[in-house]
Amino acid sequence: MPWFTFHFQDFAFSFLSVLLEAVPFLLLGSLLSGLVEVFVPAKWFQKIMPHGGLPAVLVSGLLGALLPICECGSVVVVRRLIRKGLPISCAVTYMLAAPIVSPVVALSTWMAFKGQDPGLMTFLRLGLGYGLAVMVGLIMLRIRTERWVQPALLASAAQASRSAMKVAAAPSDLDTLASASVWGRLNLAGRAAVSDFLDVALFLVIGVAITSVFGTAVNQQILTPLATNSFLATPVLMLFAVVLALCSTSDAFIAASLVQWPFVSKLAFLVYGPMFDLKLFFLYGVIFKRRGVIVLALGLFIAVALICTRLEVLRP
Amino acid sequence: MKSLIHRWLPAATLGIWAGVLLGAFFTGRVKDLLHPMFHIPVLVSGVALLFLAMLAGGRSLEECCDDDACSHSTTKSTAGRLLTFLILIVPVAASALFSPEGYSRTTIENRGIITDAAALGKTNRPAPPRPPETRVYEPPLPNASGIPSPEQVNPADYIPRTESGHYKVEVVDLLYAAQDPTLRADFENKVVEVTGQIMPATSSNPKGDRFKVVRMLMVCCAADARPVAALVESPTKPEIAEMSWVKIVGTATFTIESGRTLTVIKATSVSTTEPPDASMLY
Repeated sequence: MPWFTFHFQDFAFSFLSVLLEAVPFLLLGSLLSGLVEVFVPAKWFQKIMPHGGLPAVLVSGLLGALLPICECGSVVVVRRLIRKGLPISCAVTYMLAAPIVSPVVALSTWMAFKGQDPGLMTFLRLGLGYGLAVMVGLIMLRIRTERWVQPALLASAAQASRSAMKVAAAPSDLDTLASASVWGRLNLAGRAAVSDFLDVALFLVIGVAITSVFGTAVNQQILTPLATNSFLATPVLMLFAVVLALCSTSDAFIAASLVQWPFVSKLAFLVYGPMFDLKLFFLYGVIFKRRGVIVLALGLFIAVALICTRLEVLRP
Repeated sequence: MKSLIHRWLPAATLGIWAGVLLGAFFTGRVKDLLHPMFHIPVLVSGVALLFLAMLAGGRSLEECCDDDACSHSTTKSTAGRLLTFLILIVPVAASALFSPEGYSRTTIENRGIITDAAALGKTNRPAPPRPPETRVYEPPLPNASGIPSPEQVNPADYIPRTESGHYKVEVVDLLYAAQDPTLRADFENKVVEVTGQIMPATSSNPKGDRFKVVRMLMVCCAADARPVAALVESPTKPEIAEMSWVKIVGTATFTIESGRTLTVIKATSVSTTEPPDASMLY
């Protein structure tokens, strides 16, 4: 069989299915983002987050347990949180951890891996996801973010920070909203949600389209022989996660069914997939510059592959 | 032009997306596209998008997108914005209008047809549900270890039956049965009725008298669906076009070939049928 055969109708069927699955999560993220915009004052994050870089990053990695949201929605929320003055290191930590460190993901991983060491897989997935997100957050603390993050986002973050510290004379959005009725605020939240939804939906459409081409046109049988190659199995399955672009709430069921593949390769699939895939490549573009997205993707890929390969040695 | 970009195009885009979601839900297409756990979110999102479309149509979004501090990533040129809406509308509308109810043979083959349940992983699939018209089933009392013995459980009590009295099963039930001695005993040498799409058997077909009955098994959405198949042995080759939906009645058998336990249905009748209400198995 040829390795590539494109059929528009199959592509359209797959495209529509992924889109319908992702839209509710993207919409939820956008609505949440709109509510944050209108109801959360810029000073709030400075008040509730621990002082100091490390404790704040450590706490941010756990916020997904309180505010579980999958990767499609988290990008929108995080962009809004940055504009509201949440430090970029914390926001990025939350963005990477939330699709993994959540009760929904823990439960689905446990259920999917019944009979295949579910406790270990769930523990390693959440632990590794949290650890890597914190690692990236700590790196963000030490680098010059203007080289990697979208300048407009940094500008709005700086503005939020200034108004929070009352250095700038410009009033915050909330000040202008102070006299608005609840209905007026909800109206504004809805309009902010519309704006965010349309902005991010563009990248979702592009990412899903590429994923659907792979899912229907590429002969996936060519990957199967690599399952038994101890050196290639993990990176190949991670690349598979990138092109499949599955939702983190349900990807464990797919991973559990890949019975020919080693345990650690499936772990890498479940940790790397929610942190980076084809649709996220485009979605992350609203936060990072293109070079930032590429460095994040490569860095996480190398880290996950190395850690999982090491775990393979430790696990009998 | 400003009003078009900041008011009417966002409203139209959200309206079209809402239409696609609600259309999929109310026409029942959502059953072919998504696992049932996503059906209600699709409905709710469709209604929410419709509401947001009205909100966007009510007043221009200009003040957000023209703000100096705006970090929206899409280009601010008019042509760029028009292109953005084109990308948001055309693929979604085209896929909703022109996508079929299932995959073609090429995509099914690209994904690799599974005839061995070992390739599906450990089963989390419960036993087939008891049909509502049967009598109330009282589970057997547990034995000393607290678990009912297989002998105490009569498959006729929980496996749905056709009007002719055959076991009505799905392809995936037979695949799991091939891997599980208890389940296998429920089906082995029983007359079963299976519905699926007909495809040629290119392997495990030494005498050339076999074909496959294929269904797509979905975890979340059609994009992750994988084809599962049982082999069907028939003395006469049915004159039915490939990928047609067929109803097969025959005896379920399990055979070991090349070290794998395969399900082979020895067919007594193969007939074309209408596609089931949901073309995918969940």
